[in-house]
Amino acid sequence: MRKFQILLPLLLLAFLGFAQQKNISGRVTNKTSGEPLQGVSVQSKSMTVTTDSAGRFSLPATVGETITLSFVGMTTLKVKISSYGADLNLAMEQGNSGLNEVVVTGYKSEKKVDLTGAVSVVNLTNIKNNPVASPMLALQGQVPGLYIQADGSPTGANGGAPTIIIRGVNNLNGLGNTNPPLYIIDGVPTTRYEDFANLAPNSIGSIQVLKDASAASIYGSRAANGVIIVTTKDGGTSGGEKVRIQFSTSITAQTEKPWQEPVLSSHDRGVALWRAAVNDSTDPNQNSTNAIYQYDWNGNYSSPVLNKVIIAPYVGGDTLEPAASTNWQNALYKTAWITSNDLAISAGTGKSGLLIDLGYYHNSGLMQFTYYQRYNARINSHTSAFNGRLKFGENVQLSRTSQVNSTTDVGGDAVGDLALTLAPTIPLYKTDGTYGGPVGPGYSDRNNPVDMQYLNRWNTTNLFLTTGNVYAEIGILKNLVFRTNLGFDYSDGRGKVIKQIGDEGPVNSFNSLAMQESKEFTFTWSNTLNYNLIYGKSRLNLLGGVESVKDDYQTFGASNTNFAIQDVNYFQLSSGSGSQTNNGSATGYRLLSQFFKAFYSYADRYLASVTVRRDGSSRFGTNNPYGIFPAFTLGWRINNEDFFKNVKNVSNLKLRAGVGTVGNQQIGNLAAYTLYYANYGTASASFPLWLNTGTAYDINGVNTGTLPSGFVQTQKGNPNLKWESTTETNIGLDFGFFNERITGSFDYFIRNTDNILIQPPVAGAVGEGQLEWLNGASKNTKGWELIVGYHNRTPSGLGYSVTANASHWVDKITQLPEDVRAAYPGDPNHSIIGHSQFSIFGYKTDGLFQNEQELATAATQPGAGLGRIRYKDLNGDGKIDVTDQTWLGNTLPKLEYGIRVELTYKAFDLSIFGSGVAGKTGFDPVKFMNSFIDTRNNYGPGVLGAWTPQNTGSKTPALSILNRNGEDRTSDFYYVNASYFKLRSVVLSYDLPRNVASSIKMESLKIYVSGQNLLAFKSKEFLSKDPERANSFAIWPVPTSYTFGINANF
Amino acid sequence: MIKKIIMKRYQINVLVIFISLLFFGCKKYLDFQPQGALSANGLSSVTAVEGLTTASYAGIANDWWDAPITSNWEWGSIRSDDAYKGGGGLNDQQQLDKYEQFYLVNSSNNGAGDFGFPGAWIRAYGAISRCNAALRALSLVTDAQFPKRTIRIGEMHFLRGHMFFLLKVLFRNIPWFDETASDDAIVKISNTMSNDSVWQKIEADFQTAINDLPQTQPGEPGRANQYAAKAYLAKALLFHAYTQDDNYNVTGIDQGKMQQVISLTNDVINSGLYSLNTDYAYNFLDGHDNGPESIFAIQYSINDGTAIGGRLSMSTSLNYFAGAPQYGCCAFHIPSQNLVNAFKTDANGLPMFNHFNDPGAEMKDSIDFWTNGVDPRIDHTVGIAGHPFKYDAAIPYEHSWERDAGDYGGFGTMKELQLATCACFKKLGPFYGTSVNMDVIRYDDLLLMQAEAYIQTGNPAAALPLINQVRSRAANISPLVKKMDGTYPSNYRIDVYKPGVNIPVWDQPTAFTALQWERRLEFAMEGTRFFDLVRWGIAAQTLNNYFAIEKVRRPFLLNAHFTQNQHEYFPIPQEQIVFTNGLYVQNKGY
Repeated sequence: MRKFQILLPLLLLAFLGFAQQKNISGRVTNKTSGEPLQGVSVQSKSMTVTTDSAGRFSLPATVGETITLSFVGMTTLKVKISSYGADLNLAMEQGNSGLNEVVVTGYKSEKKVDLTGAVSVVNLTNIKNNPVASPMLALQGQVPGLYIQADGSPTGANGGAPTIIIRGVNNLNGLGNTNPPLYIIDGVPTTRYEDFANLAPNSIGSIQVLKDASAASIYGSRAANGVIIVTTKDGGTSGGEKVRIQFSTSITAQTEKPWQEPVLSSHDRGVALWRAAVNDSTDPNQNSTNAIYQYDWNGNYSSPVLNKVIIAPYVGGDTLEPAASTNWQNALYKTAWITSNDLAISAGTGKSGLLIDLGYYHNSGLMQFTYYQRYNARINSHTSAFNGRLKFGENVQLSRTSQVNSTTDVGGDAVGDLALTLAPTIPLYKTDGTYGGPVGPGYSDRNNPVDMQYLNRWNTTNLFLTTGNVYAEIGILKNLVFRTNLGFDYSDGRGKVIKQIGDEGPVNSFNSLAMQESKEFTFTWSNTLNYNLIYGKSRLNLLGGVESVKDDYQTFGASNTNFAIQDVNYFQLSSGSGSQTNNGSATGYRLLSQFFKAFYSYADRYLASVTVRRDGSSRFGTNNPYGIFPAFTLGWRINNEDFFKNVKNVSNLKLRAGVGTVGNQQIGNLAAYTLYYANYGTASASFPLWLNTGTAYDINGVNTGTLPSGFVQTQKGNPNLKWESTTETNIGLDFGFFNERITGSFDYFIRNTDNILIQPPVAGAVGEGQLEWLNGASKNTKGWELIVGYHNRTPSGLGYSVTANASHWVDKITQLPEDVRAAYPGDPNHSIIGHSQFSIFGYKTDGLFQNEQELATAATQPGAGLGRIRYKDLNGDGKIDVTDQTWLGNTLPKLEYGIRVELTYKAFDLSIFGSGVAGKTGFDPVKFMNSFIDTRNNYGPGVLGAWTPQNTGSKTPALSILNRNGEDRTSDFYYVNASYFKLRSVVLSYDLPRNVASSIKMESLKIYVSGQNLLAFKSKEFLSKDPERANSFAIWPVPTSYTFGINANF
Repeated sequence: MIKKIIMKRYQINVLVIFISLLFFGCKKYLDFQPQGALSANGLSSVTAVEGLTTASYAGIANDWWDAPITSNWEWGSIRSDDAYKGGGGLNDQQQLDKYEQFYLVNSSNNGAGDFGFPGAWIRAYGAISRCNAALRALSLVTDAQFPKRTIRIGEMHFLRGHMFFLLKVLFRNIPWFDETASDDAIVKISNTMSNDSVWQKIEADFQTAINDLPQTQPGEPGRANQYAAKAYLAKALLFHAYTQDDNYNVTGIDQGKMQQVISLTNDVINSGLYSLNTDYAYNFLDGHDNGPESIFAIQYSINDGTAIGGRLSMSTSLNYFAGAPQYGCCAFHIPSQNLVNAFKTDANGLPMFNHFNDPGAEMKDSIDFWTNGVDPRIDHTVGIAGHPFKYDAAIPYEHSWERDAGDYGGFGTMKELQLATCACFKKLGPFYGTSVNMDVIRYDDLLLMQAEAYIQTGNPAAALPLINQVRSRAANISPLVKKMDGTYPSNYRIDVYKPGVNIPVWDQPTAFTALQWERRLEFAMEGTRFFDLVRWGIAAQTLNNYFAIEKVRRPFLLNAHFTQNQHEYFPIPQEQIVFTNGLYVQNKGY
């Protein structure tokens, strides 16, 4: 390998000696706008070149030969060469369909008509004019088969990556960022979400989603979760030496007010607690909340009458803290302002192009004391020599994000939860201006969420990313192109945690600062040879390549305590006077791959391809590092058949089929090794922070100072680990009718994943650090995707289009080792085999016990009573116990769908987009808090209408503190239909007439207003206003946003 | 022409190199070695072996209150007549309410995850695995390489015995194995080894420790020595001596084992290395770690460079008061009225064995501790309104510190708590930790173990001076409990047993009652009571009698009931049965 590195520059020099051949040259423009088109693929018999920023090209060709021009969104143009010398002036027309679009599908580009796999090309207009921080969040509901579950925080997951799933979850990982797709950004693979999220929308040239294994298998090993290919713009789209400037700006207001959930006032909470105590036959004036609430009531448990709720005037008797009736949602959330600015400067000459893109994004935070901010800069440039036989260039992006996210209280409860559940009697502020808090008898050990955010306000997380690539392309022989691509991805993450001394309730008694840094450098080197041959009606493309990935990850952290002054500027490591700690670690992985792909097309009717990729990964130890991932596809363009010539209304019909295998290595870098670590206990894991861990011990009995420390096993190695692999069959049909007025495609797939990597729980007796990764389980996923579009224009000039998409998948576990099943839902009689790991297993309910007779005739149910939930005796044994559970549904939807309507009239453009899910069962936290109470939290107003002997017929169980009936068990009482449809966006834009724009020295100017997340429709039984927040209040509410923006071109 | 040839050659070169790259499989490139870690074959160095033994000590102390393996307050105190769960209402840490009221309906801890006994199972076996890893590594070095090898082997046996002892008294039917069992073998070892055999295995570990350990470990008080091993062997034999049938009924007393208890405890006493602290308070105060009374203790430390500011005693960190301004949370582990009443003494300064708990004569308010005579140990054990708390006269205990006065109000726990002003104290969010050690075996315990063995071998007379030795120290009233005005907060009235003077006879039954009482008062709120009751075979009787009266005072105990032949032991955690494919046999009644 080293040899080759030395040889490479020599080789480059060698090409300086290339002989000149007879070339034809020309310039390609957009027929409508007259602008030069850059990046058009121009193909002669011997060679394929692309146009430069001025739209110019030059390539060897012979007179009489036909050259083919193809470009994304343009109808392919074929031109016969009549003579040498003349400078060709060629204009391409905007294509009605994407048929002739060129898409990047893996180390090369292909025409969309030639595709045989399931590939979605993303409509980029959906990404623009959307105030989200990441292009991914704008894709929700837009691409069939791409499922995104995000919350309302700036990044979609409180600083992290949202759940992104392509065609279901193949393995046994959970949701969240556990199955990231493979992003290929300018040819550089990465699974880091931020590499994609931090792209400025204006710098994105195209996005393709490779969904099935036959399409993705060229990326082999890491493509099991799908591949998202992004190509950034090349710069220099203007002709000649002209410089082009694009500027976009927008301002957005976000509010969660429409999605707030009602909670009880201080008085009403007292009423509910009284009722519960009476129901439990306990003295309401003599229990754990009697320091907050006293009651004037008739003392009659069978017909109770409440005269008055007396609220203790002060919280915990502290005269500075008078009791209030706080709505913590109003206190915690505020209107967020988002500003987004992007400036793109592109310039081009005949041979070179340059793009500079500068962006600034700021979200002032929907939650108190949070924010998210990003700067990014991109510089793309390229140039060519020797008549285009040697091309080189680079793409580089620098981005820096800073954010303060939502936090938890001292005991680990998310502030979002506390905003609904903290007792309303606590005031936001004490009368001395400090934060109120739960002090004194009757209160939980939870904290004031606003105070928690306030104490957290200096805890910024910074991420500095440098990503990009440098490449060179050499035409070695006729039709043979060698490309070498050096990709780099450097991240520098910095977290700062300042813990301050607080005076509100249970907060620390000493302050501390902890700094944590992590640096990761990934270096990818790909070399490919690409050979094209056209012979008669046959077209052949061969691609071969090698790729190596080297990843190194390091962490470093330090902390100090006892800072004399609690000021953000003072909190620096050297300023503390307490005990100092530091920590650090290093890890990494290596990948080495070889791949080959052959594509053959005959008469534009019959298409076939074969792909083989071999991947080696350091993660699998020495025994089985390599996996081989083959794929085979066929395509039949039916409409090109002679017998189809007479079918007028069918403009495109293509049948596709493919089988392929892809792999997955989502395990720890060192899973193959048995490891012993020295763990002094310097870095506390997540909750519980206060657990004594580690290997240090005060053997000498000195009570303080550095302790003797040792080693402990942390992991059991498995040298026989091998790749998890997914084999998928995909059958697809692309269609276009009525001259492409109706277009669409349908795909059906079946995938089987084998050797799924799992880390099963082991018997406790085995002891510490004995978890081991195994290849153990299998899964099967089936589904389909459909996208259909219709577009037309009325004679009066009203253009309209409707695009609808839908996708469906169901997954089931087909094989799972016996001893692992306990970690999944189900029981010995209800095996998880045949079900998804996202299934919910629990009890069915049958209303409430209304009278003694019902109680007497029902199955024996421990804790049964009047007004209590009746559970169904599913096994009919006359008693309710754990064996009466069954499957209640799946937390992931069966169907996801989206619909977009676009209307254009003259300069106006209206776009309406909505999407939804169906067949989803979800936990309804609002139903829970409107049904059950306890002494710690606050609840919803629904509890006031609960069942009592005087109020029979209510569907809300009788209030009780004791919960003797175990009503918090998983049941269909609060796991209900969570299907919904959301009106996600409405955008109205206006294009300033060209003459007006040019009079103010602009090429064009677009003004738009938009609204996001405007309405939700959902099932009646689901009480939460926002079904997307259907697991807990701990996640951020998805706000409603209103945006005003301008896009200007100079 | 020449140019063309050169060019072609280069072209071919490129192709050749490229094609060779295609089939290039570089094993070295994929070799990524762990960083900062020790691989399994790096364990044979003396440093690594010593490191594994150190980590084993850390292992017996790695816990917090969710599933303690250090303090037994959740297992031995709230499950007894000593204490209520406490906290903010019955549903606060509901698993503890289930333990307290014995309504544990299934063995998977009712969805509380690893909180509670399932977590303690995992932690105890985790500590055992550290000991076994160390023992395996110790077998790979020679005495020449590592002169302390034999001593360390003894220590590892001691620590392993300590953890198996905890598992034994919690779960009774446990899988036992030693360092020779591989992982694959361990998951095939059931919990069906007989009660006797498991005790013998535990005793054998302590016997090995006795053989291998030196009499003292100078400068390293955290390590076990030979006397700690003898004391622990005595403790194990004392439990084992009360023979149990399969339904946990005590069927007899093994005289031979009791004699062994006497002889082992004699060795410790005669060593002269241990004695009672002059002041009972020192057992619960900072500055007295590893004092003369401490035979083996969990070592805690503060400001030692670990993340939370120390390896602090966190298993009791829930037990500070919610309403006290110097603390803030969470008020668990509340002394019962029954326990407080047990400190009452009669006119002779002896316990009121029969009438201490008479309804209507409870000691509740400050004045009750004047109108009654009380054992002085109460002001070391129970927070009483108006009495100095934890020897701080300036801040007396107040009812306002109580979090859930409605359910649990009245008193506060004290022994495991430290003052907020103590250098040993840290507030960590809602919790609190101290660096004060936690004694596993103290000299007072050892004296009473010997006394018990004498009584059960028909020699109550020999027990008398031992019990009186403990009482005499208690009678030596600590100046630390004084109020601001220099007076004592309670009417202390205590005397040693004087047969024929203040007690008619000192026969076996009297002596045993006195011994049981002495243990209860001396170790009140220290998490030993429940295990004593089960050992003596009187758990059901004692607890159901306790509930009958206490539920009138504390309505939350209305449905509490102890089922004999079931509740003496926790169930085997259901997950452990599942993870071993049903290998373990569930305990009776669950």
